[in-house]
Amino acid sequence: MKTTRRILLAAMLLAPGLALGADKIILKMGDNLPDRTNGWGAVVERINAEFKAANPGVEIITESYPDQPYQEKMKIYATAKQQPDVFKYWSFSTLLKPMVDGRFVVPLEQATFAKYGYLPGALESNVYDGKLYGIPVSADLWVVYYNKKLFKDAGIDKVPATLEEVIALAPRFKAKGIVPMTTDGKDAWPLAITLDQLVWRLAGDSTLPRKALERKMKFTDPMFVKAATLIQQMVKAGLFQEDLGVSDYGASRNLFGQGKAAMYLMGSWELGLATDSSFSEEFRANVDAFKFPTVAGGKGRTDDLFAWYGGNYVVSSSSKNVELGKKYLEFYASRFPMLAWEKQAAFPAQKVTAQPKDTALAKTLLRIASEATATSGTAALDLSTPAFKEDLQNAVRELSSNLLSPEEFCAKVDAAAEKAARKR
Amino acid sequence: MRETFENRPLVACLVLPSVAVMLFAMLIPLGFSVYYSMTDWAGFGDYQFVGLENYRDILASDKVFWRALWNTALLMLVTIFVQNPIAFALAALLTNVSQRLSRILRTIYFVPAVLSLVIIAKMWVNIFNPTYGVLNKMLRDLGLQALAVSWLSNPNTAIWAVIFIIVWQGFGWALLFYYAGLMTVPRELQEAARVDGASWLQTYVRVVIPYLYPAIGAVIVIDVISSMKQMELIFLSTAGGPGQLTQFLGVYLYQKAFVSGEYGYGNALSVLFVAIAIGLTLLVRRAMPAARDAS
Repeated sequence: MKTTRRILLAAMLLAPGLALGADKIILKMGDNLPDRTNGWGAVVERINAEFKAANPGVEIITESYPDQPYQEKMKIYATAKQQPDVFKYWSFSTLLKPMVDGRFVVPLEQATFAKYGYLPGALESNVYDGKLYGIPVSADLWVVYYNKKLFKDAGIDKVPATLEEVIALAPRFKAKGIVPMTTDGKDAWPLAITLDQLVWRLAGDSTLPRKALERKMKFTDPMFVKAATLIQQMVKAGLFQEDLGVSDYGASRNLFGQGKAAMYLMGSWELGLATDSSFSEEFRANVDAFKFPTVAGGKGRTDDLFAWYGGNYVVSSSSKNVELGKKYLEFYASRFPMLAWEKQAAFPAQKVTAQPKDTALAKTLLRIASEATATSGTAALDLSTPAFKEDLQNAVRELSSNLLSPEEFCAKVDAAAEKAARKR
Repeated sequence: MRETFENRPLVACLVLPSVAVMLFAMLIPLGFSVYYSMTDWAGFGDYQFVGLENYRDILASDKVFWRALWNTALLMLVTIFVQNPIAFALAALLTNVSQRLSRILRTIYFVPAVLSLVIIAKMWVNIFNPTYGVLNKMLRDLGLQALAVSWLSNPNTAIWAVIFIIVWQGFGWALLFYYAGLMTVPRELQEAARVDGASWLQTYVRVVIPYLYPAIGAVIVIDVISSMKQMELIFLSTAGGPGQLTQFLGVYLYQKAFVSGEYGYGNALSVLFVAIAIGLTLLVRRAMPAARDAS
């Protein structure tokens, strides 16, 4: 009896050890796509499933958070060298460059990825010190989404072409209790990008913000002051939601998706709006986009497209599975464009062919991209240090809350640029 | 018992866990913080030693730091002079109703204190929403359209809306403390005062409140400390906006350290934070016994 008990005990103690013997490699991932059943998140889940099928013995565990908290989490993980093996990041100098400088991400072989049909400039936007550090995943275009039904109900039969026309539409929507235009005012970066876009529309030159950051000119230049004045004009005309300053990404997106706002100032990565099952069928059938309006008297043209390659995927240098991570990236690069376009979930940084069953929104975005005669590259807010980005965003929040005059705003931004230039 | 306490090695062993906690959870991290506060570290990568430059920047040219201190002071004043009297008055009322009613009401009033801060913040952001929020809908229905402002993004009302949320959340604790304190006041004391001809108000002001000075003192110390520590509710509602007007130290140092990549600066803010908090606590504790002795 005692022997049997001893054998049983030994078996119970050994069993877990034997189970662990079937060792699985765990690939830890991170991204800013908390919704795994819709849009981009669902596409990543599909790619992960296919990767696991092609690589038995690999388990993938993903951490997802909304946009800004995700960025903060990754930065915090960096301080503890605990970043996921493969994670979504951004190619900007405010985000990727500190990671490159701190040797937190591994360089990739540019030649390996060149064969995956990347759009011109896409891979290059992820190159620092001559080495490729991430694969771009989306081509980001700055557009205005709109709800065709709300426009029709307000008696508007054609999309506005100039900023003045957009502002003039505001009272017509407000009379119906609809917010004319929503954007993420709490995080301020959409308005910061819009500022750069307006400078381009006014001056006909997309290099002004970059020049100001390099201190070849100042942010107090009349073009910047005029752009800041236009932003404040938009706010004062009641174009945006009343609580712009506390309306974050999700809140502003929901306002639009739930049919409470007529327009949504955001980037092309939201093409999944047309297929997001959490919104009504009516909304999905009526969402479309138009090109960012021109400014009366400005030198910029409609087809000057504010576009950049923001989102990318990188491999952590503290990962124990670097080669597996690189293999995953290659797999992602081969599968993402087709799957994302099929689900209309994202605007890939790789070439895609228009499909007959594309949504109207996707067709419009493809058209806007193909009709572009010039593109801008990354906006000023992401071309400098993280401290500059935060200072600029704080200043934009103050500008959009009417706490600063355009001149004061420009002086603040210029001081921040000066501080950042001295630190570099 | 005496032998136990005279056995030094044993005493050392018994005290070791607490000392270890103090050392590793408080003093050593504080030491690290002080060290990093004298660098320009971004949180990762290389850094340089910059001495007291961060402190100089904060005290001399950082308007947001002073605004955060001002907001903390406002919160403390509202908590001590608005939340506490109301909580006290309500607790006094609760001691004079039936047991059952008192228990039901106490539970209801304590609910905000146990709700998750995330839920509270999001709930109030929705209530305060200028277009779709319940508050403005009510105001408009009552014909008070002029008052239906954008509570959390209007520069004039934002800080008061945030303070309201914080005070609302902490109300249950104050009520609980005062209720427990009032329960300890001997009936004979109040009856004696009544017999001597004191009115209901005089009984409370001259007899009950002085009797409760220790409890009131404790609540005030806790209020001061928790006012300084406020972070979550502000972060989740306005994140310091509009334009840094509702900024508090906890949120500001988080943003500086982890969002702006100015980890050294954030550490300098937190060291100043600790210094101010300790200073304030000592001040309040010194002021409180005096009040007790005065009665």
